Amino acid sequence: MKNNKGYHIIILFCLCFLAVANVNAQSDWQAPAEENEKLSPFLFDDDMVLEGRIAYENSCTSCHGTPGQDDFTPMSPPPGDPAAEQFQAQSDGSMFYKIKMGRGTMPKFEDAFADDELWNIVAYIRSFNEDYKQELPNMEGVVIPEYAMSLSFDENVDKLVVKVFAEELPQPEVSVSAYVMGTFGKHLLGKAQTNELGIAYVDVDPTLPGDEEGKVNVMVKATKEFARAKVEKHMVMAKPTERHSAIEGRHIWSTDRMAPIWLKITFFVSVFGVWFALLFIVFGLRNIKKAREEA
Amino acid sequence: MNMANKNDKSRRRFLQKLGIAGASTVAGSALLLQGCSDSNKASGNKVKVLTADNKLVEVDVAHLKPGDKIQDLKYLQKRGREGIPGKKFVMVVDLAKCKNARKCMKACQSAHQLKPEMHHLNVLEMEDPVKKTSYWMPKTCQHCDNPPCVSVCPVDATFKRQDGIVLIDNERCIGCRFCVAACPYSARTFNWTEPKNSDKMADVTYDMELNVPQKKGTVTKCAFSADQLRHGKLPYCVSACPNGVYYFGDQNEDLVTNGTTKKTVRLSHLLEENAAYTLMPELGTQPSVYYLPPRESEG
Repeated sequence: MKNNKGYHIIILFCLCFLAVANVNAQSDWQAPAEENEKLSPFLFDDDMVLEGRIAYENSCTSCHGTPGQDDFTPMSPPPGDPAAEQFQAQSDGSMFYKIKMGRGTMPKFEDAFADDELWNIVAYIRSFNEDYKQELPNMEGVVIPEYAMSLSFDENVDKLVVKVFAEELPQPEVSVSAYVMGTFGKHLLGKAQTNELGIAYVDVDPTLPGDEEGKVNVMVKATKEFARAKVEKHMVMAKPTERHSAIEGRHIWSTDRMAPIWLKITFFVSVFGVWFALLFIVFGLRNIKKAREEA
Repeated sequence: MNMANKNDKSRRRFLQKLGIAGASTVAGSALLLQGCSDSNKASGNKVKVLTADNKLVEVDVAHLKPGDKIQDLKYLQKRGREGIPGKKFVMVVDLAKCKNARKCMKACQSAHQLKPEMHHLNVLEMEDPVKKTSYWMPKTCQHCDNPPCVSVCPVDATFKRQDGIVLIDNERCIGCRFCVAACPYSARTFNWTEPKNSDKMADVTYDMELNVPQKKGTVTKCAFSADQLRHGKLPYCVSACPNGVYYFGDQNEDLVTNGTTKKTVRLSHLLEENAAYTLMPELGTQPSVYYLPPRESEG
Protein backbone atom coordinates (compact mmCIF):
# COMPACT_ATOMS: atom_id res chain seq x y z
CA MET A 1 0.00 0.00 0.00
CA LYS A 2 2.83 2.31 0.97
CA ASN A 3 4.67 1.33 -2.20
CA ASN A 4 1.60 2.18 -4.26
CA LYS A 5 1.43 5.62 -2.72
CA GLY A 6 5.09 6.13 -3.56
CA TYR A 7 4.48 5.20 -7.18
CA HIS A 8 1.55 7.58 -7.38
CA ILE A 9 3.67 10.43 -6.07
CA ILE A 10 6.46 9.64 -8.54
CA ILE A 11 3.99 9.50 -11.48
CA LEU A 12 2.35 12.74 -10.34
CA PHE A 13 5.74 14.39 -10.05
CA CYS A 14 6.75 13.20 -13.55
CA LEU A 15 3.48 14.49 -15.03
CA CYS A 16 3.93 17.87 -13.38
CA PHE A 17 7.51 18.00 -14.64
CA LEU A 18 6.38 17.14 -18.19
CA ALA A 19 3.68 19.82 -18.09
CA VAL A 20 6.13 22.45 -16.84
CA ALA A 21 8.75 21.35 -19.39
CA ASN A 22 6.17 21.65 -22.19
CA VAL A 23 5.02 25.09 -21.14
CA ASN A 24 8.66 26.12 -20.86
CA ALA A 25 9.42 24.69 -24.31
CA GLN A 26 6.65 26.82 -25.74
CA SER A 27 7.42 30.04 -23.89
CA ASP A 28 11.10 29.59 -24.77
CA TRP A 29 10.34 30.32 -28.38
CA GLN A 30 11.04 34.00 -28.85
CA ALA A 31 10.93 35.81 -32.15
CA PRO A 32 13.96 38.03 -32.91
CA ALA A 33 13.49 41.55 -31.48
CA GLU A 34 13.06 43.31 -34.84
CA GLU A 35 10.49 40.71 -35.97
CA ASN A 36 8.73 41.08 -32.64
CA GLU A 37 8.11 44.76 -33.32
CA LYS A 38 6.91 44.25 -36.88
CA LEU A 39 3.43 45.62 -37.48
CA SER A 40 0.84 44.62 -40.02
CA PRO A 41 0.68 47.01 -42.96
CA PHE A 42 -3.03 46.13 -43.27
CA LEU A 43 -5.91 47.11 -41.07
CA PHE A 44 -7.48 43.88 -39.79
CA ASP A 45 -11.02 43.87 -41.18
CA ASP A 46 -13.76 41.27 -41.64
CA ASP A 47 -12.44 40.27 -45.08
CA MET A 48 -9.02 39.54 -43.66
CA VAL A 49 -10.53 37.57 -40.79
CA LEU A 50 -12.58 35.50 -43.25
CA GLU A 51 -9.59 34.82 -45.51
CA GLY A 52 -7.54 33.98 -42.43
CA ARG A 53 -10.21 31.61 -41.21
CA ILE A 54 -10.11 29.63 -44.49
CA ALA A 55 -6.32 29.43 -44.35
CA TYR A 56 -6.42 28.47 -40.65
CA GLU A 57 -9.00 25.73 -41.16
CA ASN A 58 -7.00 24.27 -44.02
CA SER A 59 -3.57 24.42 -42.48
CA CYS A 60 -3.74 24.88 -38.71
CA THR A 61 -6.87 23.14 -37.33
CA SER A 62 -5.35 19.67 -37.53
CA CYS A 63 -2.89 20.58 -34.73
CA HIS A 64 -4.23 23.72 -33.03
CA GLY A 65 -7.91 22.73 -33.14
CA THR A 66 -10.70 25.31 -33.26
CA PRO A 67 -9.67 28.51 -31.44
CA GLY A 68 -11.41 28.83 -28.09
CA GLN A 69 -12.33 25.14 -27.91
CA ASP A 70 -9.07 23.86 -26.38
CA ASP A 71 -9.26 20.86 -28.72
CA PHE A 72 -5.69 20.94 -29.99
CA THR A 73 -3.86 17.68 -30.72
CA PRO A 74 -2.00 16.28 -27.70
CA MET A 75 1.60 16.54 -28.84
CA SER A 76 4.88 17.31 -27.17
CA PRO A 77 5.30 20.26 -26.92
CA PRO A 78 1.52 20.92 -27.07
CA PRO A 79 0.54 23.15 -30.01
CA GLY A 80 -1.84 25.12 -27.77
CA ASP A 81 -5.05 26.99 -28.51
CA PRO A 82 -4.48 30.28 -30.40
CA ALA A 83 -7.33 31.93 -28.47
CA ALA A 84 -5.53 31.21 -25.17
CA GLU A 85 -3.86 33.99 -23.19
CA GLN A 86 -0.37 32.63 -23.80
CA PHE A 87 -0.86 33.10 -27.55
CA GLN A 88 -2.63 36.43 -27.37
CA ALA A 89 0.05 37.93 -25.11
CA GLN A 90 2.46 37.86 -28.05
CA SER A 91 2.92 40.78 -30.42
CA ASP A 92 1.53 40.61 -33.98
CA GLY A 93 5.08 40.49 -35.32
CA SER A 94 5.97 37.53 -33.12
CA MET A 95 2.92 35.55 -34.32
CA PHE A 96 3.70 36.46 -37.90
CA TYR A 97 7.31 35.31 -37.52
CA LYS A 98 6.44 32.01 -35.83
CA ILE A 99 3.84 31.05 -38.45
CA LYS A 100 6.22 32.02 -41.25
CA MET A 101 9.38 30.34 -39.99
CA GLY A 102 8.09 27.42 -37.88
CA ARG A 103 10.16 25.41 -35.45
CA GLY A 104 10.31 21.70 -34.58
CA THR A 105 6.88 20.17 -35.19
CA MET A 106 5.39 23.56 -36.14
CA PRO A 107 5.72 23.59 -39.94
CA LYS A 108 7.31 26.49 -41.77
CA PHE A 109 4.62 28.24 -43.83
CA GLU A 110 6.96 30.60 -45.66
CA ASP A 111 6.55 28.81 -48.99
CA ALA A 112 2.86 28.07 -48.58
CA PHE A 113 1.64 31.60 -47.75
CA ALA A 114 2.63 35.04 -48.93
CA ASP A 115 3.07 37.76 -46.29
CA ASP A 116 -0.44 39.18 -46.74
CA GLU A 117 -1.90 35.69 -46.28
CA LEU A 118 0.09 35.26 -43.08
CA TRP A 119 -1.31 38.58 -41.80
CA ASN A 120 -4.79 37.20 -42.60
CA ILE A 121 -4.12 34.31 -40.21
CA VAL A 122 -2.89 36.73 -37.52
CA ALA A 123 -6.08 38.77 -38.06
CA TYR A 124 -8.18 35.61 -37.60
CA ILE A 125 -6.34 34.63 -34.40
CA ARG A 126 -6.75 38.19 -33.05
CA SER A 127 -10.51 38.07 -33.74
CA PHE A 128 -10.81 35.80 -30.67
CA ASN A 129 -9.38 38.46 -28.39
CA GLU A 130 -12.00 41.04 -27.40
CA ASP A 131 -9.42 43.27 -25.69
CA TYR A 132 -7.16 43.44 -28.73
CA LYS A 133 -6.50 46.81 -30.32
CA GLN A 134 -4.42 46.75 -33.45
CA GLU A 135 -1.24 48.77 -33.32
CA LEU A 136 -0.69 50.50 -36.64
CA PRO A 137 2.57 51.86 -38.06
CA ASN A 138 2.94 55.59 -38.48
CA MET A 139 1.75 56.21 -42.05
CA GLU A 140 1.92 60.00 -42.04
CA GLY A 141 3.48 61.36 -45.19
CA VAL A 142 3.87 57.88 -46.67
CA VAL A 143 2.60 57.60 -50.24
CA ILE A 144 1.74 54.03 -51.27
CA PRO A 145 2.18 53.56 -55.01
CA GLU A 146 -0.43 51.58 -56.95
CA TYR A 147 1.33 48.91 -58.97
CA ALA A 148 0.29 47.64 -62.39
CA MET A 149 1.89 44.51 -63.79
CA SER A 150 2.31 42.97 -67.20
CA LEU A 151 3.28 39.33 -67.67
CA SER A 152 4.89 37.69 -70.66
CA PHE A 153 6.87 34.54 -71.33
CA ASP A 154 10.24 34.50 -73.07
CA GLU A 155 10.39 31.05 -74.65
CA ASN A 156 14.03 31.48 -75.76
CA VAL A 157 15.29 31.47 -72.19
CA ASP A 158 12.26 29.86 -70.47
CA LYS A 159 11.67 32.84 -68.22
CA LEU A 160 8.53 34.57 -67.01
CA VAL A 161 8.98 38.30 -67.55
CA VAL A 162 7.19 40.51 -65.01
CA LYS A 163 7.10 44.26 -65.57
CA VAL A 164 6.03 46.39 -62.62
CA PHE A 165 4.81 49.95 -63.16
CA ALA A 166 3.29 52.68 -61.07
CA GLU A 167 1.73 55.53 -63.05
CA GLU A 168 3.62 54.26 -66.11
CA LEU A 169 6.98 54.53 -64.36
CA PRO A 170 9.03 51.31 -63.96
CA GLN A 171 9.46 50.28 -60.32
CA PRO A 172 12.88 48.96 -59.27
CA GLU A 173 13.63 46.69 -56.25
CA VAL A 174 10.11 45.32 -56.02
CA SER A 175 9.90 41.75 -54.68
CA VAL A 176 8.04 39.55 -57.14
CA SER A 177 6.80 36.00 -56.43
CA ALA A 178 5.30 33.90 -59.21
CA TYR A 179 3.08 30.86 -58.69
CA VAL A 180 1.43 28.26 -60.90
CA MET A 181 -2.12 27.60 -59.72
CA GLY A 182 -2.81 23.90 -59.25
CA THR A 183 -6.13 22.23 -58.43
CA PHE A 184 -5.50 22.25 -54.67
CA GLY A 185 -2.82 24.86 -54.13
CA LYS A 186 -0.30 27.19 -55.66
CA HIS A 187 3.16 26.07 -56.65
CA LEU A 188 5.96 28.58 -56.16
CA LEU A 189 7.82 29.07 -59.44
CA GLY A 190 10.31 31.48 -57.97
CA LYS A 191 11.00 34.84 -56.36
CA ALA A 192 12.90 37.73 -57.89
CA GLN A 193 13.47 41.47 -57.62
CA THR A 194 12.79 43.97 -60.35
CA ASN A 195 15.79 45.69 -61.96
CA GLU A 196 16.10 49.41 -62.69
CA LEU A 197 13.77 48.91 -65.69
CA GLY A 198 11.10 47.49 -63.40
CA ILE A 199 11.53 44.01 -64.88
CA ALA A 200 11.90 40.75 -62.94
CA TYR A 201 12.71 37.38 -64.50
CA VAL A 202 11.48 34.12 -62.97
CA ASP A 203 12.75 30.73 -64.19
CA VAL A 204 10.13 28.40 -65.63
CA ASP A 205 10.77 24.66 -65.80
CA PRO A 206 10.21 23.72 -69.47
CA THR A 207 8.96 20.27 -68.41
CA LEU A 208 5.99 21.77 -66.54
CA PRO A 209 2.87 20.39 -68.24
CA GLY A 210 0.14 22.78 -69.37
CA ASP A 211 -3.09 22.14 -71.24
CA GLU A 212 -3.32 21.21 -74.95
CA GLU A 213 -2.05 24.69 -75.90
CA GLY A 214 0.57 24.80 -73.15
CA LYS A 215 -1.41 27.26 -71.04
CA VAL A 216 -1.28 27.40 -67.24
CA ASN A 217 -2.81 29.68 -64.64
CA VAL A 218 -0.12 31.98 -63.31
CA MET A 219 -0.41 34.23 -60.27
CA VAL A 220 2.16 36.92 -59.57
CA LYS A 221 2.45 39.06 -56.46
CA ALA A 222 4.56 42.20 -56.20
CA THR A 223 5.41 43.76 -52.84
CA LYS A 224 7.60 46.60 -51.67
CA GLU A 225 7.05 48.00 -48.20
CA PHE A 226 3.34 48.81 -48.01
CA ALA A 227 2.70 48.63 -51.75
CA ARG A 228 1.16 45.39 -52.95
CA ALA A 229 -0.32 44.09 -56.19
CA LYS A 230 -1.54 40.74 -57.44
CA VAL A 231 -2.32 39.60 -60.98
CA GLU A 232 -3.60 36.30 -62.39
CA LYS A 233 -3.27 35.23 -66.02
CA HIS A 234 -4.02 32.11 -68.07
CA MET A 235 -1.01 32.15 -70.38
CA VAL A 236 1.11 29.97 -72.66
CA MET A 237 4.17 29.07 -70.62
CA ALA A 238 4.33 25.29 -70.26
CA LYS A 239 4.69 22.15 -72.33
CA PRO A 240 1.53 21.43 -74.36
CA THR A 241 0.14 18.20 -72.97
CA GLU A 242 -2.74 16.14 -74.24
CA ARG A 243 -4.91 14.96 -71.40
CA HIS A 244 -6.12 11.41 -71.69
CA SER A 245 -9.04 9.85 -69.92
CA ALA A 246 -7.98 7.09 -67.53
CA ILE A 247 -10.51 4.74 -69.11
CA GLU A 248 -9.92 5.41 -72.79
CA GLY A 249 -8.94 2.47 -74.98
CA ARG A 250 -9.66 -1.15 -74.20
CA HIS A 251 -8.69 -2.96 -71.04
CA ILE A 252 -9.29 -6.30 -69.49
CA TRP A 253 -11.67 -4.53 -67.11
CA SER A 254 -13.56 -2.63 -69.82
CA THR A 255 -17.32 -2.99 -69.73
CA ASP A 256 -19.38 -4.04 -72.77
CA ARG A 257 -20.32 -0.39 -73.32
CA MET A 258 -16.73 0.28 -74.36
CA ALA A 259 -16.39 -2.76 -76.69
CA PRO A 260 -15.86 -1.92 -80.40
CA ILE A 261 -18.78 -2.44 -82.78
CA TRP A 262 -17.01 -5.20 -84.80
CA LEU A 263 -16.58 -7.25 -81.63
CA LYS A 264 -20.23 -6.83 -80.72
CA ILE A 265 -21.33 -7.88 -84.25
CA THR A 266 -18.98 -10.90 -84.29
CA PHE A 267 -20.19 -11.93 -80.83
CA PHE A 268 -23.88 -11.72 -81.67
CA VAL A 269 -23.49 -13.33 -85.14
CA SER A 270 -21.54 -16.26 -83.59
CA VAL A 271 -24.05 -16.76 -80.77
CA PHE A 272 -27.09 -16.57 -83.04
CA GLY A 273 -25.28 -18.67 -85.68
CA VAL A 274 -24.70 -21.50 -83.21
CA TRP A 275 -28.30 -21.35 -82.04
CA PHE A 276 -29.52 -21.33 -85.63
CA ALA A 277 -27.39 -24.40 -86.51
CA LEU A 278 -28.65 -26.29 -83.45
CA LEU A 279 -32.29 -25.50 -84.22
CA PHE A 280 -31.73 -26.41 -87.89
CA ILE A 281 -30.45 -29.86 -86.88
CA VAL A 282 -33.28 -30.39 -84.37
CA PHE A 283 -35.93 -29.45 -86.96
CA GLY A 284 -34.20 -31.64 -89.59
CA LEU A 285 -34.26 -34.63 -87.24
CA ARG A 286 -37.91 -33.92 -86.45
CA ASN A 287 -38.76 -33.82 -90.14
CA ILE A 288 -36.92 -37.10 -90.76
CA LYS A 289 -38.84 -38.68 -87.88
CA LYS A 290 -42.13 -37.36 -89.27
CA ALA A 291 -41.31 -38.63 -92.78
CA ARG A 292 -40.50 -42.05 -91.38
CA GLU A 293 -43.80 -42.18 -89.46
CA GLU A 294 -45.69 -41.14 -92.59
CA ALA A 295 -43.92 -43.74 -94.71
CA MET B 1 -72.40 43.53 -110.31
CA ASN B 2 -73.02 46.12 -107.64
CA MET B 3 -74.52 43.54 -105.38
CA ALA B 4 -71.61 41.29 -106.09
CA ASN B 5 -69.24 44.17 -105.25
CA LYS B 6 -71.12 44.91 -102.07
CA ASN B 7 -70.97 41.25 -101.10
CA ASP B 8 -67.31 41.19 -101.95
CA LYS B 9 -66.70 44.29 -99.85
CA SER B 10 -68.53 42.93 -96.85
CA ARG B 11 -66.63 39.63 -97.13
CA ARG B 12 -63.42 41.56 -97.36
CA ARG B 13 -64.42 43.67 -94.38
CA PHE B 14 -65.34 40.52 -92.48
CA LEU B 15 -61.95 39.01 -93.30
CA GLN B 16 -60.24 42.25 -92.31
CA LYS B 17 -62.03 42.29 -88.96
CA LEU B 18 -61.17 38.65 -88.45
CA GLY B 19 -57.56 39.41 -89.26
CA ILE B 20 -57.46 42.29 -86.77
CA ALA B 21 -59.10 40.19 -84.07
CA GLY B 22 -56.61 37.36 -84.70
CA ALA B 23 -53.62 39.69 -84.68
CA SER B 24 -54.76 41.39 -81.48
CA THR B 25 -55.27 37.97 -79.80
CA VAL B 26 -51.72 36.93 -80.75
CA ALA B 27 -50.32 40.31 -79.65
CA GLY B 28 -52.30 40.17 -76.39
CA SER B 29 -51.11 36.69 -75.51
CA ALA B 30 -47.55 37.67 -76.42
CA LEU B 31 -47.84 40.63 -74.05
CA LEU B 32 -49.27 38.38 -71.38
CA LEU B 33 -46.42 35.92 -71.81
CA GLN B 34 -44.00 38.81 -71.69
CA GLY B 35 -45.64 39.88 -68.43
CA CYS B 36 -45.11 36.40 -67.02
CA SER B 37 -41.46 36.32 -67.97
CA ASP B 38 -41.01 39.79 -66.48
CA SER B 39 -41.35 38.24 -63.05
CA ASN B 40 -38.07 36.51 -63.87
CA LYS B 41 -36.35 39.76 -64.80
CA ALA B 42 -32.62 40.04 -64.16
CA SER B 43 -31.86 41.68 -60.84
CA GLY B 44 -28.34 42.71 -61.82
CA ASN B 45 -26.75 40.59 -59.07
CA LYS B 46 -24.61 37.98 -60.77
CA VAL B 47 -23.10 34.88 -59.22
CA LYS B 48 -20.66 32.34 -60.57
CA VAL B 49 -21.87 28.74 -60.64
CA LEU B 50 -20.34 25.47 -61.77
CA THR B 51 -22.38 23.54 -64.32
CA ALA B 52 -22.68 19.75 -64.40
CA ASP B 53 -20.03 19.61 -67.13
CA ASN B 54 -17.59 21.61 -65.01
CA LYS B 55 -17.88 25.00 -66.67
CA LEU B 56 -17.85 28.15 -64.61
CA VAL B 57 -20.70 30.39 -65.78
CA GLU B 58 -22.08 33.67 -64.50
CA VAL B 59 -25.83 33.82 -64.03
CA ASP B 60 -28.25 36.32 -62.60
CA VAL B 61 -29.50 35.60 -59.09
CA ALA B 62 -33.12 35.97 -60.28
CA HIS B 63 -32.66 33.09 -62.71
CA LEU B 64 -31.57 30.68 -60.01
CA LYS B 65 -33.95 28.12 -58.61
CA PRO B 66 -33.36 26.19 -55.40
CA GLY B 67 -31.25 23.21 -56.38
CA ASP B 68 -32.99 19.90 -56.09
CA LYS B 69 -30.53 18.10 -58.34
CA ILE B 70 -28.36 17.21 -55.39
CA GLN B 71 -31.31 15.23 -54.05
CA ASP B 72 -31.88 13.54 -57.40
CA LEU B 73 -30.50 9.99 -57.42
CA LYS B 74 -30.42 9.83 -61.22
CA TYR B 75 -28.30 12.99 -61.43
CA LEU B 76 -25.95 11.85 -58.66
CA GLN B 77 -25.51 8.43 -60.33
CA LYS B 78 -24.69 10.01 -63.70
CA ARG B 79 -22.28 12.50 -62.15
CA GLY B 80 -20.61 9.77 -60.12
CA ARG B 81 -20.10 7.52 -63.15
CA GLU B 82 -18.66 10.24 -65.37
CA GLY B 83 -16.05 11.76 -63.07
CA ILE B 84 -14.18 15.03 -63.54
CA PRO B 85 -12.83 15.56 -67.07
CA GLY B 86 -9.17 16.41 -67.62
CA LYS B 87 -8.02 15.19 -64.19
CA LYS B 88 -6.04 12.17 -63.04
CA PHE B 89 -5.89 12.11 -59.25
CA VAL B 90 -2.89 10.73 -57.39
CA MET B 91 -1.85 10.43 -53.76
CA VAL B 92 1.64 10.35 -52.30
CA VAL B 93 2.14 8.98 -48.78
CA ASP B 94 5.34 10.00 -47.00
CA LEU B 95 6.00 7.11 -44.63
CA ALA B 96 8.82 9.00 -42.92
CA LYS B 97 6.30 11.43 -41.46
CA CYS B 98 3.56 9.09 -40.25
CA LYS B 99 3.38 8.94 -36.45
CA ASN B 100 0.18 6.91 -36.21
CA ALA B 101 -1.93 9.91 -35.14
CA ARG B 102 -4.90 8.18 -36.87
CA LYS B 103 -6.65 11.49 -37.55
CA CYS B 104 -6.99 10.40 -41.19
CA MET B 105 -8.85 7.24 -40.17
CA LYS B 106 -11.20 9.15 -37.89
CA ALA B 107 -11.98 11.75 -40.57
CA CYS B 108 -12.60 9.00 -43.12
CA GLN B 109 -14.84 6.95 -40.85
CA SER B 110 -16.97 9.93 -39.85
CA ALA B 111 -17.34 11.13 -43.47
CA HIS B 112 -18.24 7.72 -44.88
CA GLN B 113 -20.52 6.50 -42.08
CA LEU B 114 -18.22 3.66 -41.08
CA LYS B 115 -18.15 1.72 -37.84
CA PRO B 116 -14.84 1.76 -35.92
CA GLU B 117 -13.93 -1.72 -37.15
CA MET B 118 -14.49 -0.79 -40.81
CA HIS B 119 -11.73 0.90 -42.78
CA HIS B 120 -11.42 2.61 -46.12
CA LEU B 121 -8.04 3.65 -44.81
CA ASN B 122 -6.03 1.80 -42.20
CA VAL B 123 -2.72 2.68 -40.56
CA LEU B 124 -0.70 -0.52 -40.29
CA GLU B 125 2.45 -1.21 -38.34
CA MET B 126 5.04 -2.63 -40.70
CA GLU B 127 8.01 -4.52 -39.36
CA ASP B 128 11.38 -4.60 -41.01
CA PRO B 129 12.64 -8.13 -40.27
CA VAL B 130 16.24 -7.27 -41.14
CA LYS B 131 16.68 -4.06 -39.16
CA LYS B 132 14.20 -5.14 -36.45
CA THR B 133 12.48 -1.77 -36.68
CA SER B 134 8.94 -0.82 -37.53
CA TYR B 135 7.16 2.03 -39.25
CA TRP B 136 3.55 3.12 -39.79
CA MET B 137 1.96 2.69 -43.19
CA PRO B 138 -1.43 4.22 -44.05
CA LYS B 139 -3.03 1.88 -46.58
CA THR B 140 -5.95 2.88 -48.72
CA CYS B 141 -7.46 1.81 -52.05
CA GLN B 142 -4.66 2.17 -54.61
CA HIS B 143 -7.07 3.33 -57.36
CA CYS B 144 -5.21 1.10 -59.82
CA ASP B 145 -5.03 1.98 -63.50
CA ASN B 146 -5.50 -1.73 -64.13
CA PRO B 147 -7.96 -2.62 -61.35
CA PRO B 148 -8.55 -6.36 -60.75
CA CYS B 149 -11.68 -5.57 -58.70
CA VAL B 150 -13.34 -3.96 -61.72
CA SER B 151 -12.48 -6.95 -63.95
CA VAL B 152 -14.24 -9.40 -61.66
CA CYS B 153 -17.40 -7.43 -60.82
CA PRO B 154 -20.25 -9.31 -62.52
CA VAL B 155 -22.75 -6.44 -62.36
CA ASP B 156 -20.65 -3.34 -63.24
CA ALA B 157 -21.15 -2.04 -59.70
CA THR B 158 -17.51 -1.16 -59.25
CA PHE B 159 -15.93 0.84 -62.05
CA LYS B 160 -13.11 3.17 -62.99
CA ARG B 161 -13.79 6.78 -64.00
CA GLN B 162 -12.03 9.07 -66.45
CA ASP B 163 -10.27 10.87 -63.55
CA GLY B 164 -8.72 7.59 -62.41
CA ILE B 165 -10.91 7.03 -59.35
CA VAL B 166 -12.31 3.55 -58.73
CA LEU B 167 -15.76 3.81 -57.18
CA ILE B 168 -18.50 1.44 -56.09
CA ASP B 169 -22.21 1.93 -56.65
CA ASN B 170 -24.06 0.22 -53.80
CA GLU B 171 -27.33 0.58 -55.72
CA ARG B 172 -25.94 -2.05 -58.14
CA CYS B 173 -23.75 -4.07 -55.76
CA ILE B 174 -25.18 -7.56 -55.11
CA GLY B 175 -22.77 -8.33 -52.27
CA CYS B 176 -20.96 -11.21 -54.03
CA ARG B 177 -17.60 -9.96 -52.68
CA PHE B 178 -15.67 -11.04 -55.79
CA CYS B 179 -13.96 -7.63 -55.69
CA VAL B 180 -12.93 -8.14 -52.05
CA ALA B 181 -11.25 -11.40 -53.07
CA ALA B 182 -9.68 -9.92 -56.21
CA CYS B 183 -8.10 -6.86 -54.52
CA PRO B 184 -4.45 -7.66 -53.72
CA TYR B 185 -4.31 -4.74 -51.27
CA SER B 186 -7.28 -5.84 -49.12
CA ALA B 187 -8.62 -2.33 -49.55
CA ARG B 188 -12.30 -3.24 -49.51
CA THR B 189 -14.63 -3.89 -46.66
CA PHE B 190 -18.12 -5.35 -46.39
CA ASN B 191 -21.19 -4.11 -44.56
CA TRP B 192 -21.99 -7.31 -42.66
CA THR B 193 -24.37 -5.50 -40.32
CA GLU B 194 -26.60 -2.42 -40.47
CA PRO B 195 -24.28 0.59 -41.02
CA LYS B 196 -23.66 3.24 -38.38
CA ASN B 197 -26.57 5.69 -37.93
CA SER B 198 -28.58 3.86 -40.60
CA ASP B 199 -31.86 5.07 -39.07
CA LYS B 200 -30.76 8.73 -39.28
CA MET B 201 -29.54 8.30 -42.86
CA ALA B 202 -32.68 6.56 -44.12
CA ASP B 203 -33.98 9.59 -46.04
CA VAL B 204 -30.65 10.73 -47.46
CA THR B 205 -30.24 10.31 -51.23
CA TYR B 206 -27.39 7.97 -52.12
CA ASP B 207 -24.29 9.68 -53.48
CA MET B 208 -21.78 7.20 -54.83
CA GLU B 209 -18.98 9.78 -54.68
CA LEU B 210 -19.35 9.81 -50.89
CA ASN B 211 -20.76 6.26 -50.75
CA VAL B 212 -23.29 7.38 -48.19
CA PRO B 213 -25.75 6.13 -47.00
CA GLN B 214 -24.02 2.77 -46.64
CA LYS B 215 -26.14 -0.31 -47.21
CA LYS B 216 -26.06 -3.63 -45.38
CA GLY B 217 -24.90 -6.48 -47.63
CA THR B 218 -22.81 -4.30 -49.96
CA VAL B 219 -19.11 -3.68 -50.37
CA THR B 220 -17.61 -0.29 -49.50
CA LYS B 221 -14.25 1.23 -50.33
CA CYS B 222 -12.15 4.40 -50.41
CA ALA B 223 -13.47 6.90 -52.97
CA PHE B 224 -10.53 9.36 -52.81
CA SER B 225 -13.26 11.66 -51.36
CA ALA B 226 -14.59 12.26 -54.88
CA ASP B 227 -17.32 14.49 -53.42
CA GLN B 228 -14.66 16.83 -51.96
CA LEU B 229 -12.57 16.87 -55.16
CA ARG B 230 -15.61 18.06 -57.09
CA HIS B 231 -15.46 21.26 -55.01
CA GLY B 232 -11.68 21.65 -55.32
CA LYS B 233 -11.12 20.46 -51.75
CA LEU B 234 -8.60 17.88 -50.59
CA PRO B 235 -9.84 14.46 -49.41
CA TYR B 236 -10.99 14.14 -45.78
CA CYS B 237 -7.98 12.04 -44.71
CA VAL B 238 -5.45 14.30 -46.45
CA SER B 239 -6.63 17.53 -44.81
CA ALA B 240 -7.05 15.86 -41.38
CA CYS B 241 -3.42 14.69 -41.11
CA PRO B 242 -1.43 16.73 -38.56
CA ASN B 243 1.95 15.36 -39.67
CA GLY B 244 2.16 16.26 -43.37
CA VAL B 245 2.04 12.61 -44.48
CA TYR B 246 -0.25 13.02 -47.46
CA TYR B 247 0.23 14.80 -50.75
CA PHE B 248 -2.69 14.85 -53.17
CA GLY B 249 -3.06 16.29 -56.64
CA ASP B 250 -3.55 15.95 -60.35
CA GLN B 251 -1.01 13.92 -62.32
CA ASN B 252 -1.88 15.86 -65.48
CA GLU B 253 -0.72 19.08 -63.80
CA ASP B 254 2.26 17.28 -62.22
CA LEU B 255 1.44 19.10 -58.99
CA VAL B 256 0.59 17.66 -55.58
CA THR B 257 -0.41 19.59 -52.46
CA ASN B 258 0.49 18.59 -48.93
CA GLY B 259 -2.64 18.28 -46.80
CA THR B 260 -1.03 19.79 -43.69
CA THR B 261 1.21 22.60 -44.92
CA LYS B 262 -0.66 23.19 -48.21
CA LYS B 263 2.69 23.39 -49.94
CA THR B 264 2.35 22.45 -53.61
CA VAL B 265 5.26 20.62 -55.23
CA ARG B 266 6.01 18.93 -58.54
CA LEU B 267 4.86 15.32 -58.42
CA SER B 268 7.62 14.00 -60.70
CA HIS B 269 10.34 15.71 -58.63
CA LEU B 270 8.88 14.47 -55.34
CA LEU B 271 8.75 10.88 -56.58
CA GLU B 272 12.19 10.95 -58.15
CA GLU B 273 14.02 12.67 -55.29
CA ASN B 274 12.56 10.39 -52.63
CA ALA B 275 12.79 7.01 -54.42
CA ALA B 276 9.03 6.56 -54.40
CA TYR B 277 7.52 3.13 -54.93
CA THR B 278 4.12 1.55 -55.38
CA LEU B 279 2.76 -1.48 -53.56
CA MET B 280 3.19 -4.85 -55.31
CA PRO B 281 4.30 -3.44 -58.68
CA GLU B 282 4.91 -6.98 -59.95
CA LEU B 283 1.14 -7.51 -60.21
CA GLY B 284 0.85 -4.87 -62.93
CA THR B 285 -2.05 -3.12 -61.23
CA GLN B 286 -0.45 0.33 -61.73
CA PRO B 287 -1.57 2.03 -58.50
CA SER B 288 -2.32 5.78 -58.27
CA VAL B 289 -0.97 5.84 -54.71
CA TYR B 290 2.78 6.27 -54.29
CA TYR B 291 4.82 5.72 -51.14
CA LEU B 292 7.93 7.58 -50.08
CA PRO B 293 10.05 5.16 -48.06
CA PRO B 294 10.49 5.58 -44.30
CA ARG B 295 13.87 7.06 -43.50
CA GLU B 296 15.95 6.19 -40.50
CA SER B 297 15.76 8.90 -37.89
CA GLU B 298 18.86 11.02 -37.59
CA GLY B 299 21.15 10.16 -34.72
